[in-house]
Amino acid sequence: MNRSSAAVVTVIAMLATAVPIRAHHAFAAEFDANSPIKLRGTVAKVELINPHSWIHIDVKDADGKVSRWMIEGGTPNTLLRRGFTKNSLPIGSEILVDGYRAKDGTNKANGRDIIFPDGKKIFVGGSAPDAPR
Amino acid sequence: MKTMMRTFAIALTILTVASLRVDGQSHAWTPPRTPDGQPDLQGTWTNATITPLERPAELAGKPFFTEAEAAEYEKTVAERNNMDRRDGSPDADVARAYNDFWWDRGTKIVKTRRTSMIVDPPDGRIPPLTSEAQRKVAERAEYRRVHAADGPETRPLAERCVLWPTAGPPMLPSAYNNNYQIVQAPGYVMILVEMIHDARIIPTDGRPHLPSNVRQWLGDSRGRWEGNTLVVETTNFTDKTNFRGSGDTLRLTERFTRTDPGTLMYEFTVEDEASFVRPWKAEIPMVKAEGPLFEYACHEGNYGMENVLAGARAEEKRAKP
Repeated sequence: MNRSSAAVVTVIAMLATAVPIRAHHAFAAEFDANSPIKLRGTVAKVELINPHSWIHIDVKDADGKVSRWMIEGGTPNTLLRRGFTKNSLPIGSEILVDGYRAKDGTNKANGRDIIFPDGKKIFVGGSAPDAPR
Repeated sequence: MKTMMRTFAIALTILTVASLRVDGQSHAWTPPRTPDGQPDLQGTWTNATITPLERPAELAGKPFFTEAEAAEYEKTVAERNNMDRRDGSPDADVARAYNDFWWDRGTKIVKTRRTSMIVDPPDGRIPPLTSEAQRKVAERAEYRRVHAADGPETRPLAERCVLWPTAGPPMLPSAYNNNYQIVQAPGYVMILVEMIHDARIIPTDGRPHLPSNVRQWLGDSRGRWEGNTLVVETTNFTDKTNFRGSGDTLRLTERFTRTDPGTLMYEFTVEDEASFVRPWKAEIPMVKAEGPLFEYACHEGNYGMENVLAGARAEEKRAKP
């Protein structure tokens, strides 16, 4: 690599200012950045719907009282393309959710991070390579 | 000596042709034909790429990456786009929405190694808006600020599942659902877009455009064949279909050419004198993809709309003394 192309590579490495591409809607309008929340629950229902998937979980509090929460994810189309189906996350599975609570204070949160209790990722992830897939 | 000169000239010609091919401009390969004799563009295609529409300011004067630069750029963008990262402010964290596995934006730049999709103007940037268009953009922004969450009608078109800013026309890659299916029938071409799930039906039988008082979200497309290229002209956009600041005067010309078995070169030209100080042009080599497309019944599951409005009402309540 000559000096000028090395300089360009350095410039490229600094190109970190671009605004990330957004989801279907602004999550900042729906969820409260000041209300981070961590939930541990069992999967009660999986809605693989567009524009966003919703995973419903039952969460038990310290007194043993169970309440239902709805967790928002992304489009199911991406998951289907990677072989994920509604059977991939069976009802009754225990999951951990780290996200932000809905601004209206109801039992909804975005699934900023969703993992199994042993730390394993539920979904095999990352941007798929470019076509042909 | 003469022989040497001739050999050199031939070698130079081969090199020139080879470099044209890298640009996707060589049409030496003959595409298959449909039963009615048109170039066959049918199949599933993807435009997933991390090549930006506009050339980043840092790359001014550099229309193409070298191989090493391309690799570095791909690495940098992969790190920047990684939604599993949790650094930055809580606002940035919320904006990243969810883990990386939901996203599907591609990992590579276009194979021509261009640093921008825009090829004209030569600086790879969208030309400035006219003062009238700037005024309209500012007006719309102010309206959105004041009426941010009055009701569903004042929310962005994408959030209402009406129109996605990249689903087209013109068709640009987005964060996921970058898949397109082309189906041809005598006198028609249909383009199904996975994002927002619009089927654009394009007559190619020479009929005129709709009357100018008929306005449509996706405009009114008419196609024609020029050699191996499908040329589509779209007019009659609504004044709410604002592609990068365009207005209802937008005249969009798209060109689709199969340049090899796995590539559909997609070019578009934006002409809107009332909105841009000059026309501009972009190109994206689309790549053959495995189907099928999945349905994107956007509004059926649009809980987000309700939640955004409920969030706004709750905030208003909290703000009251």
